[in-house]
Amino acid sequence: MISEFLSYGFVQRGLLAGSLAAVICAVLGVFLVLKRLSLIGDGLSHVCLTGVAAALLMGASPVYVSIPVVMASSLGILKLTEKFRIYGDAAIGIISAAGLAVGIFITSLAGGFNTDLFGYLFGSILTVGTDEVILCAVLLAILLFFVIGFYRDLVSASFDAPFAHTRGINVRAVNLTLTLITSAAVVLAFKVVGIFLISALLIIPPVSALMLARTFKQVLYWAAGLALAAVWVGVYLSFVFDIPSGATIILVNLFILACSYAYSRIRNAYAAEK
Amino acid sequence: MPAVIEANGVRFRYETAWVLDNITFQMQPGDYVGLIGPNGGGKTTLLKVLLGLEKAQGTVRLFGQELDQFKDWYKIGYLAQKSPVAQSRFPISVEEVVFMGLGFERFHNRVTHADLKKVYEVLAKTNTLSYAKRIFHDLSVGQQQRVLLARALVSRPQLLILDEPSAALDAGSREDFFNLLGELNTRYGVTILLITHDTGEVGKYISKFMYVDKELVFYGTKQEFCHSEKMAAKLGAFAQHTIDHLHNNGHCPLGCHCGEAKHD
Repeated sequence: MISEFLSYGFVQRGLLAGSLAAVICAVLGVFLVLKRLSLIGDGLSHVCLTGVAAALLMGASPVYVSIPVVMASSLGILKLTEKFRIYGDAAIGIISAAGLAVGIFITSLAGGFNTDLFGYLFGSILTVGTDEVILCAVLLAILLFFVIGFYRDLVSASFDAPFAHTRGINVRAVNLTLTLITSAAVVLAFKVVGIFLISALLIIPPVSALMLARTFKQVLYWAAGLALAAVWVGVYLSFVFDIPSGATIILVNLFILACSYAYSRIRNAYAAEK
Repeated sequence: MPAVIEANGVRFRYETAWVLDNITFQMQPGDYVGLIGPNGGGKTTLLKVLLGLEKAQGTVRLFGQELDQFKDWYKIGYLAQKSPVAQSRFPISVEEVVFMGLGFERFHNRVTHADLKKVYEVLAKTNTLSYAKRIFHDLSVGQQQRVLLARALVSRPQLLILDEPSAALDAGSREDFFNLLGELNTRYGVTILLITHDTGEVGKYISKFMYVDKELVFYGTKQEFCHSEKMAAKLGAFAQHTIDHLHNNGHCPLGCHCGEAKHD
């Protein structure tokens, strides 16, 4: 059964793209969750609707149109928080609402896109093309370069931004890079789980990992590993039971989260008794 | 030798209200300055401006370099009033937190033996060695504050900027803490700028007082502070309370002998 499942080209591409996107989102998510910016993924995913609707209207590739649109929106969030001193969650809410409203407006102008748009809203991992797999691989390479090369900058800026500044770390540049990579990740992930569920890929594996791991590096490894496991199990279950892949991946992630919580409670109770 | 801190005409405002207005002063190497003033007087904002955490009008120089071009951050140790991570479940150990205080090169994430030695030395000095391996957020607020002090000290800074560092400490720890700062100042010549409300406790070590209430009201030696009619006249109850603290029933703990004269 498994060998038959893996023999299909569309399954191989889907699994590869899903694995890459899940690892990217999980690693980014660790920093976003700890900086209490995890909802940025939710806000930016709504902006994807504008990019997808505009691309379908123009007959262009939704991924290539959405990447600049979402990146510009993420810069808008940073500008609102820095320049206008608006709280981060409020800024995300403003950009999210704007993205959703413009997306719906464009869709209504075009008279609706029926099944095309539906696929982007709820994900269609098995329709992922080779170019999207390559884009995911390139983004993962960029992310790994950033995380390995600037690991201490990232950890310091996430832990205590004012102190990081007094170590000569350019906190603004770190935040900007993190936000731009998140924008690209959100766009590449919408084929995997759909616009509505992208934020779950950024939030659930890191939260599970935070319950299991004791050091920062362990959190990164656990988050990536759990996200990868959820994609593989989720895609396999969706293939076997003919159910939507995006929703199945998220449900598997939620199951892992519940197990992680139970394990951490048992571990803490055992440690307290000792 | 250039001034350690040189501020000229520093002005800063949030929205429409000026928080700091025309602050000009210099701190020389070895100065130990107690920054005091009423709540909302701009003390914390001034420290943030001096560190470049807030952009202000006027000029600030650190060790003779313009703040915008300043690169020698290892010369400065900073301890904020409230750690932004105090309530967070950030998965990081005490030794890793202290390690953050050291300078580093990109793409070199391996901890060197020399760096570890520095970290453990400062952990011993701040009485935090026993919980070096523990997770930072598992510690009490007072213990966290001592770890953050260790982080501020680990690069062996020439200037310490501390915002009410003793607020979360118990009485015994506070005394140890001020003794340590006093030793750093007198023995190693570390320049210290410290926001405090504990004028009595910290007064015996401090060489100068700076009083900020949106503008620089007073900056001078503690002896000048004790005798300052201007302070007493301008600030009334606060100044009197502070001076009473310093004089401690007729005996001036600052050693300026002004208490006896004042109470005669």
